[in-house]
Amino acid sequence: MSTLSRRQFVQFGSLAAAGLLAGCGSSAGSGSGDAADAGEYTLVEEGKLTCISNLFFPPFESMNEITGEPEGFDIDVSKSLAEHMGLEVNWLPSQDFDTLVPTIKNGGKADIAIAGMTITDARQAEVDMSDPYVDSNQSIVVKAGSSETADTLNDASKKVAVQGGTTGASWADENLPNATKKRLSTVIDAMSGVQSGLYDAVVCDLPVSRYQIKKSFSDLEIIEEIPTGEQYGIAISKDNPGLTAAINAALAEMVEDGSMAAIEAEWFGAEL
Amino acid sequence: MRYNRRDRGTGLLAALAMLMLACAMLVPTIALALTTNKATARPNENGGSGVIGGLNTRLTWEGTVEEGEEVSSVTLTLPDDGTFDGSSTKITVLEGLSRAAVEGEAVASGSQLNVTFSQPITEGLLLRLEVEGMKFPSEGGDVVVSGTYVNQGGEQQLADSKPITTIANTPLQAMVATLDEAPWVQIWNSNPFLGMFFKPQLLVTAFATLVPGWLLCLLIVVVAYPFAILLGLIFALMKISKNRLLRLIAIVYVNVLRGTPLFLQIYIMFFGLPMMNINIDNNVLGVIVIAINASAYLAEIFRAGIQSIPQGQYEAASSLGMSYFQTMFNLVLPQTIRRVIPTVTSDFITSYKDTSLLSSVGVMELMMFAKNLTSVSGNMTPYVAAAIFYLIVTLPLIKAVGYVEERIAHSERGGGPRPKGKTAKNEAADAEVKLSELAVHAEALDDEHAFVPALTPSFASEV
Repeated sequence: MSTLSRRQFVQFGSLAAAGLLAGCGSSAGSGSGDAADAGEYTLVEEGKLTCISNLFFPPFESMNEITGEPEGFDIDVSKSLAEHMGLEVNWLPSQDFDTLVPTIKNGGKADIAIAGMTITDARQAEVDMSDPYVDSNQSIVVKAGSSETADTLNDASKKVAVQGGTTGASWADENLPNATKKRLSTVIDAMSGVQSGLYDAVVCDLPVSRYQIKKSFSDLEIIEEIPTGEQYGIAISKDNPGLTAAINAALAEMVEDGSMAAIEAEWFGAEL
Repeated sequence: MRYNRRDRGTGLLAALAMLMLACAMLVPTIALALTTNKATARPNENGGSGVIGGLNTRLTWEGTVEEGEEVSSVTLTLPDDGTFDGSSTKITVLEGLSRAAVEGEAVASGSQLNVTFSQPITEGLLLRLEVEGMKFPSEGGDVVVSGTYVNQGGEQQLADSKPITTIANTPLQAMVATLDEAPWVQIWNSNPFLGMFFKPQLLVTAFATLVPGWLLCLLIVVVAYPFAILLGLIFALMKISKNRLLRLIAIVYVNVLRGTPLFLQIYIMFFGLPMMNINIDNNVLGVIVIAINASAYLAEIFRAGIQSIPQGQYEAASSLGMSYFQTMFNLVLPQTIRRVIPTVTSDFITSYKDTSLLSSVGVMELMMFAKNLTSVSGNMTPYVAAAIFYLIVTLPLIKAVGYVEERIAHSERGGGPRPKGKTAKNEAADAEVKLSELAVHAEALDDEHAFVPALTPSFASEV
């Protein structure tokens, strides 16, 4: 089966070892882009902006149905960010939303978490958040034709699904204290559950519920659009203030040169 | 319909009361330029949903500016010893769903928080104040947020918010607070690994809050297992039956269930059944899924156990004139049970651990509680606490399996209890038996099921 000769094998092994070593050593960022002068920063992998997210949050991030590649608003933002910083973008596999902040805090795995993540005080206590790059709100989604309202949902017999660790989850905790909250890994699980009647409602970010109802969950409807005025930011380790500065500089550039507007137009059209 | 005088009287009274109520509701709404929409608090009970007084939390207050009005400043007031000191306020002004560019400054002084805006907030705008790090009165109870605002006409009273239910400090919370203060805890937590996986405050909270989830796990598996054993036995007997159709059904059942992940089976049952309008309670459905899944594994274990009984015993039974059922229930199954006890216990441990998968569909079991706590705290300690809860059950069982296996090996080797006063001749015979049995068991030890292919050649071709 193996066509590797012994010499080839040794070469391959040493190559892999060299790669591993390079990966371990924290390499000083040497971005050649315009935003690089924002300060010194370290990257998990030299020359690459390593991103993590929960890839079940369309239109912000999802996996392509055919190729399985990450795609979405946040993915395009990350690509544009990397371009402005003179880096390549590297996306790691999807992980649960509630593990993103701890992963970034511990460091060593990824440089940034870009995951439709609202800037909150609680998160800022753990990690640095970049400047806001998109506005969002909350929504309550139920099965189309259901007679539920925010008031009727606030009852112990009602099952309200949320994605663990999200602002939607804390909105439900605070505003629907009596409802039975079900914390799930993804918004898709929550919506499928409402579709099949497992749960009575989902509380999630409005752009996501709008997009999902339009694309795949046509038998669900939004009964309440909740103005919260929250804003998404990018999570970066507190040990890496140079990177936060560089990301903020790159975000400002993206707004200025119109690349942010182009990405918004592509994913939200006139909706946002 | 017939009215008597009393009915008419109460009807009149009710109408009067309604009128008065309507007036009472109308009067304050007319007078207010800033309507209080709501005031809510983020639960700050570790692992719970209560709002505890005297501990940091976040107050969210929302109000709408009425037609033709402009509001330039708002002051919120807490009763008793509630305090805004040390808080930070996020001011959001919204027009519909989009943010309006209004800045403001918040100054906290004791039970009052004064927010002044850079420009007056105009009609139809929604004002949202998120005050992080404030404290409600420490004795708990229903807290009403009141206050004032300033519009063109000067300072006015705000309508009281709906009461926020708060509770006094709990013993658990007090213990966590003591740990927060302790110097050794701070040193311990400053180590990133210990702080992330073994944070003492969270260990205490997790042990207290995970108990219901742990009990549900145990309940699910304990209820499911007898059904699994029964089903497993039925399918085991079907699989070795002479009837081709029964055999086929059993083979399909066992292979499909063993050949697909439990996670997938859970998804199909939990999302699929409600779509067919079959609505079963989540916990009951959990029991059903675990029972069905375990039954497939048990069927294989039982079948292997039954087929490990030497053919000679069947022949001996039939020479005594025993029927099939007599042979099975009086001869084969009792011996099988003894042989499969260790393997079944191992499978029980697996099923117990598998209940964790039910958390993905919203069954409030151990993992779900741990996940909740982790997602709120951003710390891995609750998972470690959950691991300990699993080990409390699995370690003694693993120990028990080891003991039972040892005993069975011992007795099958001929070391079991025997009548007293044996002769030298008997001992010599025993030694011979021991030797031959030892060889069989050396094989069995290599793999739990190693004895199966040896005894049933058909097994190898089937799988």
